[in-house]
Parts: sequence; C-alpha cells; structure tokens
Amino acid sequence: MLKGYLAIVLHAHLPYVRHPEHADFLEEDWLFEAITETYIPFIKILDGFVRDGVDYRLTISLSPTLMSMLMDGHLQGKYLAHLDKLIELSEKEIERTKWDERFNKLANMYHANFIEARHIFKDIYHSNLVNAFKHFQDVGGLEVITCCATHGFLPLMEVERRIAVRAQVKVAADMYEKIFGKRPIGIWLPECGYNPGDDEILKKEGIKYFFVDTHGVLFGTPRPRFGVFSPYLTKHGVAVFGRDTESSKAVWSAVEGYPGDYNYREFYRDIGFDLDHEYIRPYINADGTRVMTGIKYHRITGITNHKEPYIPDNARDTAANQAANFMFNREKQVEHLAGQMGDRMPIIVAPYDAELFGHWWYEGPQWIDFLVRKIRYDQDTIALTTPGEYLKKYKKYQILTPSFSSWGYKGYCEVWLEGSNDWLYRHLHKMVERMVELASAHKNSKGLIQRALNQMARELLLAQSSDWAFIMKTGSHVTYAVERTRAHIENFNELYEDVKNNNLEEEYLKGIEEKNNIFPDIDYSIYSS
Amino acid sequence: MAVEKPVLRDRKTFRFPQGYGDNKIVLLVRDPWWIFAYWEIQKAKEDDIVRKISDSGDEREKSILRVYDVTGVNFNGHNAIAYFDIELNGPASTWYINVTSPDRSWVVDIGILTKKGSFYLLARSNAVHTPRFGMSDVLDAEWAMPEDEYWKMFGLSGGFGVGKGSLEVREMLKKRLEEQITSGAVSSSASFYRKSAARKFWLVVNTELIVYGATEPDARVTVQGKVVELKPDGTFSLRFALPDGEQVIPVEGVSNDGIDCIKITPIVTRKTE
Repeated sequence: MLKGYLAIVLHAHLPYVRHPEHADFLEEDWLFEAITETYIPFIKILDGFVRDGVDYRLTISLSPTLMSMLMDGHLQGKYLAHLDKLIELSEKEIERTKWDERFNKLANMYHANFIEARHIFKDIYHSNLVNAFKHFQDVGGLEVITCCATHGFLPLMEVERRIAVRAQVKVAADMYEKIFGKRPIGIWLPECGYNPGDDEILKKEGIKYFFVDTHGVLFGTPRPRFGVFSPYLTKHGVAVFGRDTESSKAVWSAVEGYPGDYNYREFYRDIGFDLDHEYIRPYINADGTRVMTGIKYHRITGITNHKEPYIPDNARDTAANQAANFMFNREKQVEHLAGQMGDRMPIIVAPYDAELFGHWWYEGPQWIDFLVRKIRYDQDTIALTTPGEYLKKYKKYQILTPSFSSWGYKGYCEVWLEGSNDWLYRHLHKMVERMVELASAHKNSKGLIQRALNQMARELLLAQSSDWAFIMKTGSHVTYAVERTRAHIENFNELYEDVKNNNLEEEYLKGIEEKNNIFPDIDYSIYSS
Repeated sequence: MAVEKPVLRDRKTFRFPQGYGDNKIVLLVRDPWWIFAYWEIQKAKEDDIVRKISDSGDEREKSILRVYDVTGVNFNGHNAIAYFDIELNGPASTWYINVTSPDRSWVVDIGILTKKGSFYLLARSNAVHTPRFGMSDVLDAEWAMPEDEYWKMFGLSGGFGVGKGSLEVREMLKKRLEEQITSGAVSSSASFYRKSAARKFWLVVNTELIVYGATEPDARVTVQGKVVELKPDGTFSLRFALPDGEQVIPVEGVSNDGIDCIKITPIVTRKTE
C-alpha cells in the first residue's frame, strides 16, 4: 500500500568558463568531464526508462551558466576534440594493456563509453545536450527546473537586495522560458541559500517552489507541523520543500555514505598521473602538467594507499545492493511517519549535486538506474514524485516563513564568508550599487550606451557566481577564481567610468562582449530602481 | 591594404580598488552567532570629526565599532536595547563580530570615542537580523498539535529518531550541520570528502616493455600474430604494460614478395618480489 513519496532532485551546475583565446584551457575540462561522466550517463539512463516503459519521476535543476555552456558552439567543438583525444588514448590503452586482462577489459570499457558518448552527443543531440533534457521533460518523467543566473549566493546580497536578487532570478527564468517554452515551475536556490523575503521575488517571476536545507524548515516560523515531510507555503504563496537528513547522509556522509564502498572506482587514481610522462604527454595539460584523463583502473580497495584493479561487475552489484538498501530505508521512513501526517502522505526530498553522480561517484548513475526501477517494480510502499506533481495532490499547506539558511558547511554563510573570500563583497556590492545607479539614470538608452550597460550587467552577474568564493576557500584553482573575479570587476568599472564620462570606445566594449558573451538577450533595465 | 585598427585608449593595469571614496559600513549575517562588517572611511571625514572633537575641548581616545542590539526597535541612534564596543587597532577594514545570541537585530556604528566618553559617528550600518537557532515558539492554531509530537517530527526530519528533548535535538542538529553532507564541489577543483589512510606515504611501481625493431619499409610484420604498422623508414615500436609472468612475443617479418620470412621470438619474464 502506498504510504509516501520520494523526490530525487539533482542540481546540475558549473560556473561559466569559456576561453576561446586558448586552444587548451585547464578549467574548461570541468565541463568536459561532467559531460562525459555525468550528463551523458544520466541521459542514457533516462533513455533506458523511456525505452523500457519505466514510469519514473526525477527532478533536475540546470543552472543558466551550465546551459549557456552546453549551448555554446565554441565549447561544443572543443568538447568533441577533447573526446576524440580520449578515444585515441583509449585505443592506445587497449593495445598497451593487452597482456593484462584486468586492465585490458577496463580499457575496452572506456573506449566503448567514449564512442557511445560521441554518438549521443553529436548524432542524437546535435552537440546540444540541453535538447536532451528538454526532450525528457516533454515526454514526461523529468521535471527540469532553474537555478539563479550565475549561481549567486543570495543571502550575502545585502546591498540593493531586492534588485540584485531579482536580476539573478529573472535572468534565469527568462532564459528557461526561451528554451523550454514556459516559466520554470521550480528553482534551486544556489547552495540552498535562503534569505526571508526572497520568496516575494520568486513569486513575481512565476516560480512555484524552491528548496531549503532541513533547518530552514525546522527553524521556520510558525512551528512546522510536518517537519520536512511536507512542503509549506511562504507568505507570498511560494511552496518550500525541506531537505531530508537521512537520505542525504546515506549518500554524502564520509563515514556511512554509499560512494565510499571499497568495490567502487577510485577517483584519485587516474592514468594521467600513473603512466609514464612521455606516453601520456599528448593527453594531459598542454604545458605538460599532469591532469586527470578520466581513465581510472583501480577501486577504492580500503583505507589504504594500495589500490587493487577495478572490477565493474562487483561495483555494479554493490550499486544494486545500495539502491535496494536506500529504497528499504525510505520505506521504513514513511512507515514510521504513518499516523503522523494527518490527511496527507509524506514526501521525502533528497537533493544532491548532479556532478556527484558519475564524476565523483562513478557508479552513481547506475545506482539511480537501479533505484528508479526497483521503486517501480519491487515494492509499493513508496512512489517517486516531483515537487511539482506533489503540490497538486493537496489543496492546503501550512504557511511558513523558512529560516535564513544554506546547505553549506555549518548551515549558514561561513563557506562563502571567511578569511579567504570576504574581501569580495565590498566590490560585488559596489557593482550592484553602480549598476542600479546607471540603469536608473539611463532608462531606454540605445546604441553604445545600451550595449555597455548590458555588458555591465553580464560582468556583475558573472562576478557574483558563488563558485569563486567557494574555490578561494577550498584552495585549488584559487588563482583562476581570483583572476576571474578581478577581470569582471575591472571590466565593469572601466565601463562604468566610460559611461559616466561619456567616453565609450566601441572596440574595447566589443572585446569584452565577445569574451564574456553569456546571456545574449540580457536587458540592463532589470537593474533600474 | 591593411585595415587600420582603431587605437584604444591606454588603460592602466587595473588593480582592486582599495576603496571607492565612500564613508560607509555594511553588515552581513554569517550565521546565528556571528555578523561580518566591512567599512570604508575617508581620511578627510575622520580629520573633520577629530577637529570637531578638539574644538569641543575634548580629545580622541580610540576608534571603535559600537554594536547595537536593535531587536524589535526602529533604531534612531538612541533607542537600542543594548550595545557593546569593539576597539579598532591598526588599519582594519573588516571585522567578524560575535553577537552570541541568535534571532536578534543588529546595527553597527563606526566612530571615535573621546577621552571624556563622547561618541562621534563616522558611519552607520544597515540593520541585519540573525536567524533563530531552534524551533519557533509561535504556534499556528490551525496546525497545532501536542508539544511532544512536534519534537517527534523534528527528530525524524533531522534523522536523529524520536523521543529527544529540545536541548538535545538542538545540539544534535548543530553537530549534523558540521558534518559535510554537501560538496558544493566545482568538478575537479575540489576534493570529495573521504577517509584517507592513516599515513600519507605511498609507492607504486609498474613495468612496461617496449618491443621495437626495423625491416624493409614494404615488409609485412606481425607481433603476437597481429599486423603492425611500419613507419616510412621501416621501423616499428610497441609498448606494453608488463604484468608478472612470462610473455612469449613472436615477431614475424615477411618480405614484400612473400618469399623471405624471418621469425624472432623474445621471451620476457617479470617477477615481483
């Protein structure tokens, strides 16, 4: 008997990294790795559900920066070139490992995966994977939602908050509408960062729901009747879903989390680091720096530095068992809740970073595949749903003001506001202030001024990406994050001075427009007060 | 004829501006217990105030942040519930302020305290409100239920089971927030949290074998039965990962006319101890 619902929500996001000025740019690999290891495997399992007639429900948020990169011709071309190199490398690997069956099987597996990825990317979706997500939403089963324009962390947008937040939301919702033909029903707030009052802005943009972390609901006002097991409506009538703790821990926890199983593929052992430099040189960074290639031959093995060869069949069995375990625990969870929920059935909301699945946790897509099929065929206590679908089930929801919160370490803003990155905010705030000043002073401008103001809006949004502050904190690629921030602040302030002094140079503006070409339809008037 | 590019204005190498010429202070909420302030005060503004102080027959003592608890108050500079001061030493322009109790509103003034105890304002911040850390006392009549039922839902939501009291659950939730159950990772740029071995030291040794040779450029060569592509000069080179055990590697060359055939079979053994 059906006793409750499970909503799996994947948040797919990468910062906007596009450098046509370099043939080979290290940070562009973030996108390429995610396409091969996460987005394409995910598309493959969705395709499997459709092919096999599996009735499923999954939710994915696609950040506007990620969608912009997926739709960008330059990056699409670079991705194919990247993939061709991998295909070439995997061919060499098949030869090189001929005498060792353990590795030879794996080399063949990677080769087949890369060839298939190329086919899916190029032949089926014509190099634009956004088409794939649109397709699965159109045929039903997948609910695609949006995220803020550049993944700006909203709780720290203290200066001109309403305008700054509105721009992040509106640019995202407009872009979504242009691609998917309707307003986004839901939004993933970057890092689950919520500041009470931002719900009014979501409402105005036509958004029906968002998510907060567990304590965002539990510490909400008034006291929440259903814990995180029901959505609530904010004062402005937007639904809010709280993250379930148990299902999060099952995946994320370093101690108990599924991805740490010893049968699973070891992320940190990659042939980019393992093999002889001369041999691997054409497939690593252009300057000879070793980087990951994505070809990895070992399994986690244990809490040891010695790693055994990876055995895909064993890993697959583990993924199946863990999917069964996850399902069983959710069944128990809703059974526990029976009798506590009044007139309604509970919903368990389990959000994860999409890139965890496949990129970090290689078997993650398989785990989702098993989980969805098991839920459909092996039991009838829980059913998959999407937030949008669940909201139609009941007419009344308790009114709640969620608490200021995020899903970052310690639950608030500390990740993005600490010694390594707190210097950012005086600049970001000043940019917003200046943007509002000029947008309000130059209403309905045309020509060069209009172009300059639009570009200033792009630079501001790009500078606001929470990724830069995050990278500064975590400590790798820091130089890149600082340089990106610096460049956006510089471009913005140069244009600000030029507009103020009526001193614009078209050639200079054009250079910046070509470099930071995100959001071609942006209209700076979103910043006018 | 080459098209002449317009000459662009020489733009100075840009650096982060030290400041923007403002006199202001801005507050951000970090978490229920901490707020963050950054500020910028022009020297002229400070000199002006110092002059005023000495005109009034007083003297500058120190620069301070005055932190006002303005919870439930429409703050006008004089009606705060309480305040405390933080002395500023040196050229600070940011400060993390521990406000200890959550769910309160705060405003911070930056200014100068005089020897006689007067406070001269340089700039006043925006007001911020820190979040409550704990369940609300406000009950919604329509959705009300017995106290222990709330705690039960709270415990189930937080994944700590049922039957825990308010203090206990709050501590558990605090602990849970300190566990890393998100990555926020930007692809390869950050590492996925995992238990690592007690000692960091490690050593990996592998062996590869290069089989290479040369013959007439138009000959046909097979290695272990597989045809090898010759370079234009008739050389070839193959690279193999060499596992433990014996490898028998028959190499056969056949002349273009099919008349001559040479077979050479290296045998290689690897043994790891």
